[in-house]
Amino acid sequence: MPLLEATSVKKLFGGVVALSSGSLTCEAGRITGLLGTNGSGKSTISKIITGVYAKDGGTILYEGREIAYKNPNEARMDGISMVFQNLSLIPDLTVWQNIALGNEEKKGLFLNNASAVRQAEEIIGELLPGLDVNRRVCELNPGEQQITEIAKAISVKPKLLIFDEPTAALEQEEVKSLFAYMRKLAKEGVAMIFTSHRLWEVLEICDDIVVFRNGENVGAMDFSRDGRDPEAIVRMITGETEGIHTAKEYHDIPDEPALTVQGLTYGKYLQDISFRLRKGEVLGIGGLAGQGQNELMLALAGSYPEVSGSVEIGGKRVRLNRPSNAVRSGVLLVPGDRQKEGLFARNSIYYNMIYPKLGLKKQPFFTPEKQYRAEAEEICRALSVRAKDIDVDIDTLSGGNQQKIVVGKWLPFDIKVLLLADPAKGVDVGAKRDLYEFIMNLVREKDMSVILYASDSDELISYCDRLLIMYEGQVVSQLTGPEITEDNIVARSMRVE
Amino acid sequence: MNDKKLIKRLASRAETSTVLILVVMIAIIACLQNNFFTVRTMLSYINSFTPLILLAMGQAVVIIAGGLDMSCGTTMALLLCIMTRIMDPERPVTGLYALVAGLAAAAVIGAVNGFAVGYLRLPAVIATYATSYIWLGIALFVTPTPGGKVVDWFRGFYDLKNIPSLAGIGQFVPSALLWVLLACAIWWVVRRTKTGRYIYAVGSHNDNAYDSGINTAKIQTAAYLLNALFCFFVAVYYAGQNGAGNANLGDSLTLQAVASAVVGGVAMSGGKGSVFMAIAGALIMSLVGRIIYFANIPNAYQTFVSGIIIIAAIATSSVYSFQQRRAQLKGGVRNG
Repeated sequence: MPLLEATSVKKLFGGVVALSSGSLTCEAGRITGLLGTNGSGKSTISKIITGVYAKDGGTILYEGREIAYKNPNEARMDGISMVFQNLSLIPDLTVWQNIALGNEEKKGLFLNNASAVRQAEEIIGELLPGLDVNRRVCELNPGEQQITEIAKAISVKPKLLIFDEPTAALEQEEVKSLFAYMRKLAKEGVAMIFTSHRLWEVLEICDDIVVFRNGENVGAMDFSRDGRDPEAIVRMITGETEGIHTAKEYHDIPDEPALTVQGLTYGKYLQDISFRLRKGEVLGIGGLAGQGQNELMLALAGSYPEVSGSVEIGGKRVRLNRPSNAVRSGVLLVPGDRQKEGLFARNSIYYNMIYPKLGLKKQPFFTPEKQYRAEAEEICRALSVRAKDIDVDIDTLSGGNQQKIVVGKWLPFDIKVLLLADPAKGVDVGAKRDLYEFIMNLVREKDMSVILYASDSDELISYCDRLLIMYEGQVVSQLTGPEITEDNIVARSMRVE
Repeated sequence: MNDKKLIKRLASRAETSTVLILVVMIAIIACLQNNFFTVRTMLSYINSFTPLILLAMGQAVVIIAGGLDMSCGTTMALLLCIMTRIMDPERPVTGLYALVAGLAAAAVIGAVNGFAVGYLRLPAVIATYATSYIWLGIALFVTPTPGGKVVDWFRGFYDLKNIPSLAGIGQFVPSALLWVLLACAIWWVVRRTKTGRYIYAVGSHNDNAYDSGINTAKIQTAAYLLNALFCFFVAVYYAGQNGAGNANLGDSLTLQAVASAVVGGVAMSGGKGSVFMAIAGALIMSLVGRIIYFANIPNAYQTFVSGIIIIAAIATSSVYSFQQRRAQLKGGVRNG
């Protein structure tokens, strides 16, 4: 009997299907790899098993009984422990305090700290010898934090251990000792689920894999029976998606620099990034999620004062240490999280459109309402925003229309470089196409340039002239014109070549 | 080599700057006031600083747990009014009733604040600001004009010399010091239990604490209860000192207690700092007034100057957290 058997599990987030029919089986002593692109539902099913989310359908059997935990701690006490990708640690407590958290032993009235320290040292000793368990978590580097998170999950001696991207923050050496420990746990009969974007890791540590795409299982592979074929796995992950993109026509772009970036560095998020953007070019930024793409966009928009490196716009050096500098130079951002970064949700369309102007240009003492209103109405028409009038509040609009406002508010400006950070996230297909068509028209007419980061590679394939792949804060490879294909993107992103 | 290491370690601790400020202030006042290092002066200082010290400690507990108590002053005043109203100098046993009633009222007040912030998840500033009016309203109902009485033995809570049989001890041990020691002992014990650990966890990262199986609402309520207990101590102390209740007594103390905790290095964002350092914060806040008095600053400027000193103290204690944030960016710590 398998330890855990999840059958056609379903999950909706506000009407959007995150998981339509996910199935998964775990057996004692086996390490099962869980693969799929961003948003394929692999994280969702892990979180449902451990009680972070409640499922909307399907069954999960654990040791033969149906389970539905209310929170991760309930699952932990029942023997299912999860290593979270966005860590579940308390920054102001020490390593050993975190490892014992929620599971403290008592000695009389007081906590038994000596035994907690001893247990923590024991586990840390095997995973990362040399890490002082008395240090506070907020002082650790991401790798050490990840190890602490893993130690916390292991400390309760689980029967099923779920790893959600445990290696993203780890160095090679740390990954090796983690794998050694995982093998030891497997020998002791612990079942494990392992998620990673790094294919070689999956090939090395897993006994079998399950592949998710668009919220459902699309394949499985038992390594001992089917062998380890990375090409076949990549095909399973990406699926047969050829032929559905709008074909992109590649024009010759004259070598006139619009933006030159040299050695852009921001903490560990961006490391020595250099590239040139030509006038009229659409430059894509791809790669796995969270490799510094968003940070690159925000850095170019002037959101990080601490950023170093040199940036030239149209041959003139610009200091991008505050957003107003970027906007004055014509570098304008359409942020990924429009609710948080791009809009004033409780204000009207009209107000949202004029805020950038009020904030920057030399303004007449009294705002020329008539002129601005006419302008705003004009933009709404051009972008075919579906709204009663320009005085309705932003939060009454649909996601697609909201995103049009975020783009629209920049139109009266002299746009040199438009930064698009995943502009179509949560926007439906029709609105997505409208939006991109409009922007591509602008590129042709106004001779402006675009830097586009999209988590969906279809969008990159359909609209980019050139594509930079980012990995751990660096640009690791470049695809030009017809080279930009799904297979190439996935292969370069996961660094399998 | 070793000295350098020691300095570096001291500089990396949040407490260092607070202690430094306190030492400097004591030095200044010792210069200004020639009879500073006398038993008499010390005693009068301890007696007048104790209420703020206790309230600052309570406030520190709540802030560390991720909350704030804008009602601690009126809480204290209400408890004072209830107790002085109950007591009848003719019948010494009523003092006992007053203590029990005061403690029960403190428990209710702590529970209400904790319920509003922990369970109903109302913003702590607004919720406790609102409850502060409730406590004040009840206090005005109980004691419309300053008044009330205390039994004789209650005076011992302010000064042991007031009780003939304990006068001998009172010569050497001020009651005020005992109250502070009691509060310290209570926190010392709590700090070593699950509740104490969880207070830090909840304040540091509420969601992750919840996911780790901590009942965050219960922990926040516990923090407010502890705070109410310290308010109760102050109320008993004032009852012994003044022999009467006054509904408006606590108003100015609330924000001073918050400021004391912050000057003592307790971060408003929660999870960071030490309850004991709030004592140092309260001493700094209290000494500001004394320094200005002895420095012969004209009356008209006193308030202005004390504001500047407090800002300077807070700025100094936040240099540490600013440096730490920078270090985290360099080291690339994600969750800060």
